Amino acid sequence: MGCGSSTLGRDSRPLGRDNSENGGGQDAKNLRVKLVLLGDSGVGKSCIVLRFVRGQFDPTSKVTVGASFLSQTIALQDSTTVKFEIWDTAGQERYAALAPLYYRGAAVAVIVYDITSPESFSKAQYWVKELQKHGSPEIVLALVGNKADLHEKREVAVQDGIDYAEKNGMFFIETSAKTADNINELFEEIAKRLPRPSAS
Amino acid sequence: MEGSTSSPASSSQSLAFYDFLDRMRNPASLDLLRSIKSFIVSFSFYPCNPESDGKRVQEFFSTTETAIRDHPLWMGATEEEIDCAMEGLEKYIMTKLFSRTFSALPEDARIDNDISEKICLLQTFLKPEHLDIPALLRNEASWLLAEKELRKINGFKSPREKLLCIMNCCKVINNLLLNATISENHVPAGADDFLPVLIYVTIKANPPQLHSNLKFIQLYRWQAKLVSEAAYYFTNLVSAMAFIVDLNATSLSMDEDKFEENMEAAKLKSKLKSEEYQMIKQGEAKCSSSGKMCDEIEETRVMSLESNYPYMEARSGELKERDVDRLLSLYKDLVLKYTALCKAIDCLPISEKEPILGHLKMQETVSLVAPQGQ
Repeated sequence: MGCGSSTLGRDSRPLGRDNSENGGGQDAKNLRVKLVLLGDSGVGKSCIVLRFVRGQFDPTSKVTVGASFLSQTIALQDSTTVKFEIWDTAGQERYAALAPLYYRGAAVAVIVYDITSPESFSKAQYWVKELQKHGSPEIVLALVGNKADLHEKREVAVQDGIDYAEKNGMFFIETSAKTADNINELFEEIAKRLPRPSAS
Repeated sequence: MEGSTSSPASSSQSLAFYDFLDRMRNPASLDLLRSIKSFIVSFSFYPCNPESDGKRVQEFFSTTETAIRDHPLWMGATEEEIDCAMEGLEKYIMTKLFSRTFSALPEDARIDNDISEKICLLQTFLKPEHLDIPALLRNEASWLLAEKELRKINGFKSPREKLLCIMNCCKVINNLLLNATISENHVPAGADDFLPVLIYVTIKANPPQLHSNLKFIQLYRWQAKLVSEAAYYFTNLVSAMAFIVDLNATSLSMDEDKFEENMEAAKLKSKLKSEEYQMIKQGEAKCSSSGKMCDEIEETRVMSLESNYPYMEARSGELKERDVDRLLSLYKDLVLKYTALCKAIDCLPISEKEPILGHLKMQETVSLVAPQGQ
């Protein structure tokens, strides 16, 4: 099975190299961003990021593809770059209490559910509440309904996702890691919403 | 992943350390050397306090970084060279301050012991399925390698090298997961797979002073380098430890009663072991104090060690007539125990009976075949 084959990203272009590892990461033009992935096990968290990281295919691009930690840099149209450092978390219930160790200091939290599973949608709402209570106040929250290709098995209406996200001031998108639908859009939108350090 | 895959003892890094020491011997760096030495000495003026010690060390790292960047000896140096100097500085300072800063508080040693003891108990019965680790990730060879990497952590004194042991352990697991997705068509499950394996490996490895090591890295690793991938893997081990500390009957895929039963059995076993050990120790102590008691104590010592099956190692030529009585009574005792055990197994439900019976059968065959073979 796997997550499906790679396709090229459209608007976002990967970069040849970046030197953010050496402390130069936080100027206004080159952001380094910690992004944490939350959601029930089996909703396809890691498939989404693998899609994103592998989809940005460029032999010169400096990416890290681990099983649970990945990093990828994208260039935006305003010629800024964003290096995403993606922290995956274990979604099983027994590890829920460990999540604060992971989302501490994260600039972005992507909360994923599976549109064929109402339980995973309730779990997503649990994470939203937890982050509103304990996450950093400036954290950018994104709600993602994954497996959008499985129309016939859908059990969570698009509108439910939209309504919930709107009520909580989050960005919402439905994706398919399998067909790569909306994967790049997700990360580009996040990049746009990041607070910029004032250029001085 | 810069440099993180290399082993802590990698030649390029030890060269970097010698390069740092070389530069420190250069008369031009006298000012730096003085500030480093006086910083180390300054610790003897303050009472030990990990939080403030950590803060002072980190502050010193950043002021020294600025000093190095402005220093004539590093004029026109690349980022990499500055990095090397900073890594050298961390290693130098933390090796000098190790005995003060590592496991500094009495409570650190207590926490280390508690964790290690709990892991010992868990080791007696915990199986990969209790953490729902998929069968195709149960790769003994990879796990052994990961355990080995993790256990190296106490062989190093610098925070960077300790952190590298964790990174190397995690990379072995990482490769196992990546291989499973490539060769076995396993859907990549990321952290859903990674964390359970790391927890299991940590329990199998039971690295001594786990808490103290993690605290030491957290406080004294040069903060600019405890970011990104290194921070991620570090956080995973911190959370594996937290999981183990809080682990109770509801944490595993195991019947709650069964968990309590297993824990009790493991505690009893370890208690018996430590009592036996105490007896031997006491025996040795008495031995040295009074020579007269020696023989008697030596006897109890042998008894306590081999009390259950004293003739297991014996050869027929060594047996004396007086052994017959003892052998006979042991034989009767064993037969009684064995028949009682068989009866007890008959009462068990089939699912639990099968593996035990299989084991007994095997033992039986072995004991039947062995005498003929000799």
